[in-house]
Amino acid sequence: MVASAGSKKRKAVTRDVEEEAGAFSGDELAGDLNGALSDSANDLSSDEDDSEVELVDEFSSDEDDDEEDELDSDEIPSDGEDAVQKKSDKLTTAPSDDESSSDEAEVNFRIEKDANGNDRYVYDEINPDDNSDYSDVGENSNTIGNIPLSFYNQYPHIGYDINGKKIMRPATGEALDALLDSIEIPKGFTGLTDPSTGKPLELSQDELELLRKVQMNEIPEDGYNPYEPLMEWFTTEKEVMPLSAAPEPKRRFLPSKHEAKRVMKIVKAIREGRILPYKPPAEQDEEDKDIIKYDLWADEEERPDHIMHVPAPKLPPPGYEESYHPPPEYLPDNKERKTWEQMDPEDREREYLPTDFGSLRKVPGYGEFVKEKFERCLDLYLAPRVRRSKLNIDPESLLPKLPSPEELKPFPSMCATVFRGHKGRVRSLSVDPTGVWLATAGDDGTVRVWELLTGRQLWSVQLSEEEAVNVVRWRPGKDAVVLAAAAGDDLYLMVPSILDPELEKASLELLDAGWGFAASKPAPSAAEEGKRAPPQWIRPSSTLADSGVCAVIPLRYVAKSISWHRRGDYFVTVCPGSSTPASMAVAIHTVSKHLTQYPFSRRIKGGGPPQTAHFHPSKPILFVANQRTVRGYDLSRQLLVKIVQPGARWISSFDIHPTSSTASGGDNLIVGSYDRRLLWHDLELSQRPYKTLRYHRKAIRAVKFHPSGRYPLFADASDDGSLQIFHGSVTGDMLSNASIVPLKVLKGHKITGELGVLDIDWHPREAWCVSAGADGTCRLWM
Amino acid sequence: MLYPVFSGNLLFIMNGPQDSVSAASAQRQVRVQLVSKQEDIALPENTGPILVPTGLRRYALSTLVNNLLGNDKPVPFEFLINGAFLRTSIDEYLTANGISAETTLEIEYIRALIPPLHIASFEHDDWVSAVDVLSATSSAASWASSSSISQGQSRILSASYDGLLRIWNMSSQIVATSPSALDGGHSASIKAAKFLSPTSIVSAGLDRTVRLWKYAESEDGFSGKIAPQLELYGHKSGINSLAVHAPSNRILTASSDHAVGFWSTKKSDAPAAPENLLPSAASRTSKRRKLNSSISTPQRGPLALLSSHTAPVSAAIFDAKDSTVGYSTSWDHTLRTWDLVTAALVDTRSTSHSLLSLEHLPEHHLLATGTSARHITLIDPRVSATTISAMTLRGHTNAVVSLSRDPHSSYGLISGSHDGTCRIWDIRATKTDKDGVVGESVYSITRKSLEEAGKADVKRVGGEGVKVFGVCWDRSVGIVSAGEDKRIQINRGEGVLSSA
Repeated sequence: MVASAGSKKRKAVTRDVEEEAGAFSGDELAGDLNGALSDSANDLSSDEDDSEVELVDEFSSDEDDDEEDELDSDEIPSDGEDAVQKKSDKLTTAPSDDESSSDEAEVNFRIEKDANGNDRYVYDEINPDDNSDYSDVGENSNTIGNIPLSFYNQYPHIGYDINGKKIMRPATGEALDALLDSIEIPKGFTGLTDPSTGKPLELSQDELELLRKVQMNEIPEDGYNPYEPLMEWFTTEKEVMPLSAAPEPKRRFLPSKHEAKRVMKIVKAIREGRILPYKPPAEQDEEDKDIIKYDLWADEEERPDHIMHVPAPKLPPPGYEESYHPPPEYLPDNKERKTWEQMDPEDREREYLPTDFGSLRKVPGYGEFVKEKFERCLDLYLAPRVRRSKLNIDPESLLPKLPSPEELKPFPSMCATVFRGHKGRVRSLSVDPTGVWLATAGDDGTVRVWELLTGRQLWSVQLSEEEAVNVVRWRPGKDAVVLAAAAGDDLYLMVPSILDPELEKASLELLDAGWGFAASKPAPSAAEEGKRAPPQWIRPSSTLADSGVCAVIPLRYVAKSISWHRRGDYFVTVCPGSSTPASMAVAIHTVSKHLTQYPFSRRIKGGGPPQTAHFHPSKPILFVANQRTVRGYDLSRQLLVKIVQPGARWISSFDIHPTSSTASGGDNLIVGSYDRRLLWHDLELSQRPYKTLRYHRKAIRAVKFHPSGRYPLFADASDDGSLQIFHGSVTGDMLSNASIVPLKVLKGHKITGELGVLDIDWHPREAWCVSAGADGTCRLWM
Repeated sequence: MLYPVFSGNLLFIMNGPQDSVSAASAQRQVRVQLVSKQEDIALPENTGPILVPTGLRRYALSTLVNNLLGNDKPVPFEFLINGAFLRTSIDEYLTANGISAETTLEIEYIRALIPPLHIASFEHDDWVSAVDVLSATSSAASWASSSSISQGQSRILSASYDGLLRIWNMSSQIVATSPSALDGGHSASIKAAKFLSPTSIVSAGLDRTVRLWKYAESEDGFSGKIAPQLELYGHKSGINSLAVHAPSNRILTASSDHAVGFWSTKKSDAPAAPENLLPSAASRTSKRRKLNSSISTPQRGPLALLSSHTAPVSAAIFDAKDSTVGYSTSWDHTLRTWDLVTAALVDTRSTSHSLLSLEHLPEHHLLATGTSARHITLIDPRVSATTISAMTLRGHTNAVVSLSRDPHSSYGLISGSHDGTCRIWDIRATKTDKDGVVGESVYSITRKSLEEAGKADVKRVGGEGVKVFGVCWDRSVGIVSAGEDKRIQINRGEGVLSSA
């Protein structure tokens, strides 16, 4: 009923629209009609008869004034798709109705009244069989053929369909209008019930219009026109020149008088003080004297990382191999590529092969990227990191503070004189106590005396034709000038003829005094003679005597070392040869008595035959060195007082510090060895060396302290052809150790036959030293 | 050639040949003001700025100055611009120093120093230890007022290690040779020799004697005779050097026996010789005695032996102005001043090195001593002097064993060293560094023997073979040096230092 009411209302509305506003109503009708037409088309295609019938029914009912039924039946097809189902229902019900009717009349039509009141033959619907040939022919198509329709003008139908049924003329507008006009609808009928009153709701035309506007989403306000004529603010026409080319007006260039006035006004106001120029508001320091403010962060510095902070290890920066365009030498050749490809990915040295892409844009995505990053993250996350405390010590700081050699001058630094003349090696040399002469001895069997400064040879003597002179030493002391030399098996004592008569006389007397003692001495007994008879001093041959030789001591063995006692009355010789009987290796000679004694009856224990011996400069101690040790014997008590074990394999020479034991310090000893070591011993400290200096490349042949004590220097001579000068100061303080500073390496001697510098000596006063070389020269260094 | 043309106050120099040489630089000219501090070579006062081409070099400028001065004999000049010697053309100097050619350059000129060119070498048989010169300007000649020596009659005395004295004339001929040991000569090497007068010579050596010789020359001057006159005994060791003072007839010797000998040249003045030092006192065999001279020469002893040195005395000299004052240097590092009248030690100056030679610079009250530490120390011997070493002259590479004054300049000095060079020093050419006032040598004279052997570039260790033992600088003869190369070498000594 509601639906019928709606349709009624719609109809009413339609009509009202038609009457009052033709434009709206036309749209409305067209919309409704379209929908109706489509519906009817569907109806026609499916069951035209039904619709026809219904239409007929409608009109008939209309006629019968059964409004509600008519409207109802009319409403069904217009209600969309639901109607289709209902129609199909009707199709099923309809035949039963037809059968009943056919049963009653036995004719295939029935006569009904049409809208004009004429008889209308209504034939039953023919149900076509499924196998009907005409099923494809449109059921509703007119079958009257090609004749003008005007022939049917007088009939209610306009033709026949395929079933021979009349196609009824559709109702014309006049008929509908006539029908509608016949229906009286109260003014303002809406079909709605006012819920407050229960009476039919009646709406005025204004109210309906308002509703319509609301329904149409239009502005419901009265008098609003959405289509007012356009007022152009800018022109819609296209301009050739969008900007004006007109010249700038003059006023634009003139200073504005108005503005000037305004400005002057402001200026005046400022001058008069009425306007105060803007002043940035001074920061209001509310200095409260009582409150002290502390700037906690005033001197804050960047703090170092926490002590436990361990920075992540950094990846090495990418190299050329990772480059997209590596240098050609980084590119693998085919063989390398093959081996890389054949290798197990786990074994590969690197994850990628260097590839030349030519340009960056050709580089493809790196497939291993995620994996690589993941592994890196794993490394960072899982690898334990430990802070390793590194010991940072400047190695320089560990070195002892040594004074610079410059501060320790003077010391010999340059070769001042070369003494040439010896044929063959110069084996030994010695500077005389006055420091004017130099005595040298060499393989040519001569002993020569030179003027030290100029290198002029002053005197020479040929001691032996074939045997080398092994050692030459001046007798200490200035009261006489005596030179002791060992050539072959003999020792020679000489007075070179370079002296003034007085001194020469004194020297000769010194040497000659012993002849008397020797003569007065009882002849050695037979028993002594057999074993170890001390040699008798003999007079030299006349040629030697003319040359200046005064006495000869036939030692029977080759002496390699001579060392004078400081008083000049004794000297000790050592015959280190292995064939020398142990008891005769060390001999002490007394010049004043022409006496030779063998202090040792047995071999010194350990370390082979004795090598060299020296008297202590102040004490009655004789130091004897064999190959391994240096032993000190107290001559007065005849006791072994010291054993020094330098640790060298074969001692070549040693020297005793000249101020030893006098400056309250202990004895100091330097030992040179054939195994390249120079060892400093402080006898007070230990048997072991205090310092070991290994600076030479070859064996050390000779070591010597500066004899004066004025210069704390010592030097060594080595087979590598160099001399080394050291500063070794001995302090009187027992607590402080000797400081040893290497000063200078003096090079100049040529290495001849594996031998370099064979002997060394110091000038008695100056910091000059002389060296004897295997190259046949001696050199003065100063 | 330069043709100076006066044009008002300006001199325009037209230089013909140089234009073609350096046409471009000759376009530019610069005003120069030539000045000199030496009055004898100064230009006249009214000489204003001169316009010269900038292409000129030292030689052209020197010619110009000679022309301006009107010198007959051209004097070489050196030119100083802003205190630096002009070694390039003026143009290059201006470019190098960014000086505009518009400015007036003030160029100071001084007499050029002439390098001590080698003149001659006299060859010996053995090392030559000392030289002395007898010339018109030598001290021996000046002391002997009676006889004058003409220009060409200069003689050079050389003392050799073979024990002989030789007298050379300037044409490298030996005029006279001293007798050998058997004939009354030195029995060992002579270390020092000096002309006492044109007719007498003093020598001393390793035979510990000082010998006076009479030197007589024949009329033609090509032969002469050295005859022993007096033997002075007293030293117990070799004599290293000697000094003579003819007006007072005194000799000073320095010996290795730590003593300074003070001797008289007059037989009558001298005391008798100490017996124990005479060669006859030697207790050697008869064979040695035969070596002694067969000619008997008067033997005398020293006036005094000044012994307070503790090491060999290396040199002894008389004060150049006061012959009663002597100085001696020793290996004991000291320089000692002696009052010779009383034979007393006046003063001792200790240095840090052995002193090997000595020379007096009287104008500056300085004593120059050569040391074994390869330098020369200038010592003020006066008591008022506060520091021992007034100046150090460095440059030698071996001991400095001989010194001689420049006769032309009071600032000049020559030293002979064992490194085989003689060095000429100007004590004004010094600078002050951490070691005090240090000077550098002006010239270094190497041995001609090395150059002749083609080994001038070979570094000699310790001056081996070319050691210089003695040097003497005479005004007329030049620089005479002697050494281990058995030669006397004469170098030109004139104008070597800029005189003042």
